[in-house]
Amino acid sequence: MIRHRFSVEDFHRMAEAGILSEDDRVELIRGEVVELSPVGKRHMAALKRLMDVLFPLQLERRALLQVQDPLRLSPDTEPQPDLVLLAYREDFYRDRMPEGQDAFLVVEVADTSLNHDLEVKLPLYAQAGVPQVWVVDLVRDRVHVFRNPKGEAYQEARVLEDGELEVLGLKVPVKEVLP
Amino acid sequence: MTRHKVSLEEFHRMVEAGVFPEDLRLELVEGDLVEMSPIGKRHAAKVNRLLALLLPLPQSGKALISPQNPLVVGESELYPDLALLKPRPDFYEERLPEASDALLVVEVADTTLRYDLGTKLPLYAKAGVPEVWVVDLEGGRVLVHRKPQGEAYGEVEALGPGEVLEFMGVEVPVEELL
Repeated sequence: MIRHRFSVEDFHRMAEAGILSEDDRVELIRGEVVELSPVGKRHMAALKRLMDVLFPLQLERRALLQVQDPLRLSPDTEPQPDLVLLAYREDFYRDRMPEGQDAFLVVEVADTSLNHDLEVKLPLYAQAGVPQVWVVDLVRDRVHVFRNPKGEAYQEARVLEDGELEVLGLKVPVKEVLP
Repeated sequence: MTRHKVSLEEFHRMVEAGVFPEDLRLELVEGDLVEMSPIGKRHAAKVNRLLALLLPLPQSGKALISPQNPLVVGESELYPDLALLKPRPDFYEERLPEASDALLVVEVADTTLRYDLGTKLPLYAKAGVPEVWVVDLEGGRVLVHRKPQGEAYGEVEALGPGEVLEFMGVEVPVEELL
């Protein structure tokens, strides 16, 4: 039994035709339409904190923040990461989808989804060459930091309970992103 | 990770919106879109032979023969190798045939026996298809299922060469199908 896999074009055609409605929170992972789990208050608070600490980069026009919007990683994979720090563009990506190569940083906030984020999504980000990924583990109050993608993995992986995160020269205390 | 389950309605809208290429043959199996394996010449020949043998039924107006066409089975949409349907003057142009329209479903299995018996048969039973024949080419037999009860059939019979299948007065020698 071979399950049919969709391309990102199919996926968008379905959305345009109204087949996948606005309230279907879905992403395309290796050709499969996957439902996103609903997010809780702490998850939302963590995201707001991240936006707050990263916002200076956007004010300085060094990057653009994208929250829970699609990031195209390959012809059959388009997840919606919790937060992406994209290369700045004058047109704010009006004419094309942001892709893996546009991202400086991807952040996933994990409450119950830690395994899914680490086992399914992390390899996809590595493969697409996303240079840095933070996975905020709300259960254990710590942040996984991944750098130097190679193949389907990151060569540098650290778990921080304290100390500082860093992206584009901006230092962010771990405590500030944990709600 | 929860895979998005495709409903029958979504499936039909995807087809209308041109999401799938014309030559892609897909079944909707309980929310999953499953690609159908290409049909080999042995398989195709058996379907054609059975069609020829059952021809008296559409000729006498007792049933319609629908080969490798869609059949709505609960929330699934399957393409049985052959379905005998209750006659309708419009040949089901108005709506797709459903399980309750089926008199008999036949699946020819060369490499797909497990899928036919394990996945599709329970769906036919649950939707109340009264009789299903599974032609097991590798095993050299035809499995006849009758009396759907829940997700299974209450009566299962294995017929081999020398035996004769019968449906609505038409006789089909088993060896013709093997």
